[in-house]
Amino acid sequence: MRAASRPHPLSRFEFLVAAAILAGGLAGCATPPPASDPEALADFRQTNDPLEPTNRVFYKIDDTLDTVLLKPAAEAYRYVLPDTVRTGIHNVLNNLGGPVRLTNDTLQGKPARAGDTMMRVLINTTAGLVGIFDVAKDVGYPDHDNDFGLTLANWGVPEGPFLYLPVLGPSGPRDATGFGVDIAIDPFTWVGNGRIGYHIASWSKTAIAALDTRSRLLDAITSVKKTALDPYATFRSLYRQNRAGKLETLQADNRATIPIWWPQGKTSSATTQSQSQTTR
Amino acid sequence: MLDRRNCLTASLAVLAAAAGSGLTSSGARAQAGEKATAFVQQTGDKLVSVVNGTMSTPDKRRALTQIIEASVDVDSVARFCLGRFWRTASVDQQKRFVNAFHEVLVTNISSKLGEYQGVKLTVQHARMQDDDAIVTTTVERPNNPQTTVDWVIEQPTTNPKIVDVLAEGTSLRLTQRQDYASYLTRNNNDVDALINAMKQQTAQNG
Repeated sequence: MRAASRPHPLSRFEFLVAAAILAGGLAGCATPPPASDPEALADFRQTNDPLEPTNRVFYKIDDTLDTVLLKPAAEAYRYVLPDTVRTGIHNVLNNLGGPVRLTNDTLQGKPARAGDTMMRVLINTTAGLVGIFDVAKDVGYPDHDNDFGLTLANWGVPEGPFLYLPVLGPSGPRDATGFGVDIAIDPFTWVGNGRIGYHIASWSKTAIAALDTRSRLLDAITSVKKTALDPYATFRSLYRQNRAGKLETLQADNRATIPIWWPQGKTSSATTQSQSQTTR
Repeated sequence: MLDRRNCLTASLAVLAAAAGSGLTSSGARAQAGEKATAFVQQTGDKLVSVVNGTMSTPDKRRALTQIIEASVDVDSVARFCLGRFWRTASVDQQKRFVNAFHEVLVTNISSKLGEYQGVKLTVQHARMQDDDAIVTTTVERPNNPQTTVDWVIEQPTTNPKIVDVLAEGTSLRLTQRQDYASYLTRNNNDVDALINAMKQQTAQNG
């Protein structure tokens, strides 16, 4: 309907929404083990993959696409471009993700992480020449991942059943929603939207990002496929653990934001003093 | 007055005792952490020298087997990986599974020799989690982004052994357990089928 009023090529967002709807239409369900086997039932619930048969179909399709398209492309990308150039490209893409990360840091109520992201964007965009060089890391502003899926997780939204989405790969209702929200809150989704140049830039960025991500995972994915008896289950496990690990890291990061000119650690000594006073 | 002083002395004594025990336990933990760090440094150095060495591949595999058998509690990892199926398996199956697992572990690690060529491992710090020590390291290798690898060490003071490796927060043994669980669920919970698949895999990759 929107296409009629706005005769532009399909945006990335619309494309992904269409893909997700298609996935939903083809849903098939896994049969849970009988109640007579409580351990197997507990395992089934813990795995939380009720759509496993459908997920496996999409895994297979994605895996085939990957083998014939993305993997060879990523290999070529790694072969043609030297390490330093690929790192530069990775840094630029990472820097473009700054606004989304900053929004999520803020929504999660993590001022020190938001500060890191802010400083990283400011320093790397200028001194790092539009993000090619990660100067900020060397002056004490380390990088961290963030997305709206993690924001929802931090707010207490459970990950929900496992979903293997076409093109996007391992996900779940929470993280898939987060993915959509991240695109919606990304200023680069809206700046210049509607112009043909925007669509070229936007799709190129998506393609380069795919090559960048896939080339960084070449060895890891090959090794999983070689060593796992059930690669699908292994990727599912790795995805879930990776998300849980990121959530744990962000929740554990409770650094206070004390300005540099303020007496450092004053709050903690003040509490000790009041405590010793009450004991006396 | 006297009562108050006595009370004060008693509470001071209690406090001192509490502080003392706190100190010794934190001292022991620090010591456990140091020992685990030294253990990981030592094992890591051995691994790196084999991986980056000039030996032939079969020789490297032999050297790796030795290091793994000496530094990893393979039997305990194997039991963990079979999960709930360990209890339903027969003693004979358990034995054959553990044997196959030893092979799988060595084969999986040896199959990565090529991609880890030029690897550099830096030990960062250690922390305690219950009785285990977790030693954090960073692994750098050509063509790949730097990764954080945590080594979980059981009995760090008496008989340190690796029981798990966490690559960027993902546990190797947990991933393996879920791989096996899925395989078993899709193959009528047949442990023999799993053992066969494991053997086939080692034959293919070894």
